Amino acid sequence: MFDVKHLCFRYPGQTDGWEYHFSLAPGHCVAIHGASGSGKTTLLNLIAGFLQPDSGTIHWEGKAIEQLEPWNRPVTTVFQEHNLFEHLDVATNIGLGLHPGLKLTPEQTKEIQQGLERTGLAAFGTRMPGDLSGGQRQRVALVRAILRRQPLLLLDEPLTGLDTEAKASLRSMLLEEKSRGVALILASHDEDDRKLLADHYWNL
Amino acid sequence: MRSTPPPAPLSHPGWQLIPGQLLGLALVILVALGLGSMLITAGGLDLSTVFNSRYLRGVVWFTVWQAMLSVLLSLALALPVARTLARYRRFPGRSALLRVMELSLVLPTIVAVSGIIGVYGRQGWGTGLLNEWFPGHGWNLYGLNGILLAHIFFNAPLAARVMLQSLETIPPSRLRIASQLGLRGWWLWRSVEWPALRPVLPGLSALVFTLCFTSFAIIMTLGGGPAATTLEVAIYQALRFEFDFPQAAVLAVIQLLICGGLWWLVFRQRLESSLLPNRQLSHSVPLKPWPAQHLLSAALLLVFSLFLLLPLLAIGIRGLPALLALNTAHSIYEQLLPATGRSLLIALPAGFGSVAASLMILASINKTKNPIMKAIPTTTGYLPLIVPPIVLGTGLFLLLRPGLGNHTQGWVLVALINSLMALPFVIQILRGPLNGLDSHSLRVADQLGILGWYRWRRIYWPLLRRPMALGLAYGIALSMGDFGVIALFGSPGQPTLPVLLYQQLGSYQVSAAAGTGLWLLMLLVFIFGLLSAIGRPPAHLQKKRLPEAALEPKHV
Repeated sequence: MFDVKHLCFRYPGQTDGWEYHFSLAPGHCVAIHGASGSGKTTLLNLIAGFLQPDSGTIHWEGKAIEQLEPWNRPVTTVFQEHNLFEHLDVATNIGLGLHPGLKLTPEQTKEIQQGLERTGLAAFGTRMPGDLSGGQRQRVALVRAILRRQPLLLLDEPLTGLDTEAKASLRSMLLEEKSRGVALILASHDEDDRKLLADHYWNL
Repeated sequence: MRSTPPPAPLSHPGWQLIPGQLLGLALVILVALGLGSMLITAGGLDLSTVFNSRYLRGVVWFTVWQAMLSVLLSLALALPVARTLARYRRFPGRSALLRVMELSLVLPTIVAVSGIIGVYGRQGWGTGLLNEWFPGHGWNLYGLNGILLAHIFFNAPLAARVMLQSLETIPPSRLRIASQLGLRGWWLWRSVEWPALRPVLPGLSALVFTLCFTSFAIIMTLGGGPAATTLEVAIYQALRFEFDFPQAAVLAVIQLLICGGLWWLVFRQRLESSLLPNRQLSHSVPLKPWPAQHLLSAALLLVFSLFLLLPLLAIGIRGLPALLALNTAHSIYEQLLPATGRSLLIALPAGFGSVAASLMILASINKTKNPIMKAIPTTTGYLPLIVPPIVLGTGLFLLLRPGLGNHTQGWVLVALINSLMALPFVIQILRGPLNGLDSHSLRVADQLGILGWYRWRRIYWPLLRRPMALGLAYGIALSMGDFGVIALFGSPGQPTLPVLLYQQLGSYQVSAAAGTGLWLLMLLVFIFGLLSAIGRPPAHLQKKRLPEAALEPKHV
């Protein structure tokens, strides 16, 4: 269970800040929506550890994680774009999610190939991100996020700007993760995404 | 949940922060020691000696005057060339011309001077033509003429490349609007080009001024006498021939005050623009030409190309017979090979040192948010522009004079100062790629735990291998061509290649000098070629580029 308790944050020089307080069970998805600047991305950044809260706690399975560095937190983020390192090929981009020094076991190499096959990208392992479409890039990012097997996926507008086919493919991948017990926090403007994936809605 | 891999080696933030800080501090202390020893030797700072001496007053005035003229003339030539190259992106030889222009940064001054003498000297091709067409013209290369010509030869291409880079940062959308509106001439300049060039001009002018102000080999070879002596040469003469250390110290302080003051003014303008030419060229947008523009542009580029190529050609044509004459009693290689060994012995550590120091400095700057900790390595990176190498050399020479017992110590010092000299240039080359990762990518890297050695190996190395090879080539080339610092610390009996070339020019061994010049040039081309090949990413990682025509709509 993820518990976020009275998590407060204010950007320097800002008079008003945010306070977040919620719990999220494994296998559930909460969709957050609101106007630009309403604090959706700020929440995701606080949970991921890219921002430090002014006060409050984040617990996972009873352990406080708000002081941990981003790489030690049980979360993976998928951004709207810039998820991939442009100068590294697809397989390397995914492999870095499994071991940050790319010291992969044969099983992990096989997992990468299977992940790519499952998403229809079997032949794309040696391609550079610049050669892929937006949908393909997001699928690669999601394969990496899934293979990291963290219990919480933070999704910051991951389907925005994609075509219908790409969206459908990614939605089915996310539903599959949900069914495996992964918790999702989805920041999205898209009503269809929220209806299809979310169990709870928040309007910020 | 997957188990967390062990932490990356060298992932503690101190590994990025501390080496650069320590290095920065060490270099600042080194410079402070050098300057301090100079001031102590001068027995206090009595600048009135300069104003009381007609000769020294003349030296200061001439140094400033020739540098100002060089800046004006170099920029005046560079501007139309850059505008023309920005407008015409596709013509045969454009890429070759850009490569030749890049040479100006690394071509050893003394080599270029030998080429310039070959074209514009008394026996030169250009002077021969002038004699035929305009008998009694009174042209004399030696003196202000030659100094300005050589300074323009070096700095106009550099300035043009930097200006071209700025013009190429103009957003294509703005150019498209200018194209649609048919803007040209003054309005194109005022609304599109000037806003792009304005930010880079103060730094560029200061850079060219500093390079001309501290010019040494050109003044030594083309100065032609005491009337055309600069501070740098006067310091050298005071140290090497007159053993007048207080005078050298006072002159060095004046040089420091002028250069330091200039760069202080430039940094107050928050200099952000890169002062080194970038190799990336963007696509073009067709603009409305004015009458006869194509013809005039072609003529301008032709004259500019000849201006750059003729001295290089002269080096080649005059040097080749000397290098091919293997059967003579005294082969040129008897002197050339040992000098090459000595040059490499100094230049290789200097090049590697400047790349390693640049990486440490940049890593340290990127890691800290503390303004003081940021300032130390940042200052170090620009120190050689503020404290010219001859000033630093003078200070260290005075400081270490009693202890400098053998050549090896002198060479270590030369390699160290050469390495420091290359820092501003190498830092500029590496800064872009190192800071090129956007904040999202850095966050992804953080989240995946790609830290320390892993981040360097997997993220930065592929981005940096090519710029590092280029930076190394620049570092080695600058040191290989150094004639200033080595003249101070080196021994005439054991010359490096530039010193040998100077000795040959001074003793009228014209053929041998041409051979040495060509040899040095070939060596640099080889080093650049080799490092460029080493730095090239593996074929499968090279991005396929669409042809330019596919990126741009056709102009109807």
